Amino acid sequence: MTRTSAEEPRALLFRALDEHGDRLYAFALRMTRDPDLAADAVQEAFASALHKFDAFRGESNIATWLHRIVYTKAIDLIRQRGKESPLPEEEDMDFGPDDERLARTPAWARPPDEILWGRQTKEALETAMKQLTPLQRAVFTLREVDGMSTDEVASVLGMEPGTVRVHLHRSRLRLRALLSDHFKGAVRP
Amino acid sequence: MTCDCDELGRRLTELRDGALGESDCAAIQHHLDECQSCGALHKDLEDLAQLCRESERPRMPLAVRRRIEQALK
Ligand SMILES: [Zn+2]
Repeated sequence: MTRTSAEEPRALLFRALDEHGDRLYAFALRMTRDPDLAADAVQEAFASALHKFDAFRGESNIATWLHRIVYTKAIDLIRQRGKESPLPEEEDMDFGPDDERLARTPAWARPPDEILWGRQTKEALETAMKQLTPLQRAVFTLREVDGMSTDEVASVLGMEPGTVRVHLHRSRLRLRALLSDHFKGAVRP
Repeated sequence: MTCDCDELGRRLTELRDGALGESDCAAIQHHLDECQSCGALHKDLEDLAQLCRESERPRMPLAVRRRIEQALK
């Protein structure tokens, strides 16, 4: 049976919900840090995708396109809630003394493997990620947790790959510094 | 390539991305072998990456999926 043009976007979005729904929700949750806002961001993203499906024509990858819409929705919701700063367009691109200070954070005290890879460390990582800026969280989550390539992350966030790397580098340094405190307490002197 | 410690941190992210040429990779590897603090930074960042790969991804709650399916009908 040939699908009518009205059915096709719905069928594609249903399939995308099956294939990418968990990834999109996890991304929204990391961005908003709030299950209700994450649910709203993903639901609004799918509704918006259906509404403006024509904009997807010509895009190579529906997952990338949906991540971009979820990101936009999540930032809108964060902005409406008005409690986070700085938002992406306010973020400084240049490396400054703060970055250099972070780079000089002492190396992790090496805990035993069961602590390094254990549940508490994973919880500490989640807590630390909440302290990144929204843009750093987006870059880090998509690249390191979700496993997207830098080019895909650049496409989701509408920036150059080199810019993605700058924010990725900064987020990695910040997380390393934040987890350093966690490990300090985990190693007996 | 000159390779001071501040520069190296930035280059590690490019290195992982395969965004550097062969001679830059070799210069970085040489620095990592020689410089204790950059070697430790590299090790921490590799462990951080592995932690992320192993972290659990929250699943979309069924109620949210149902809401989206409703919105798509
Ligand atoms: Zn060094």
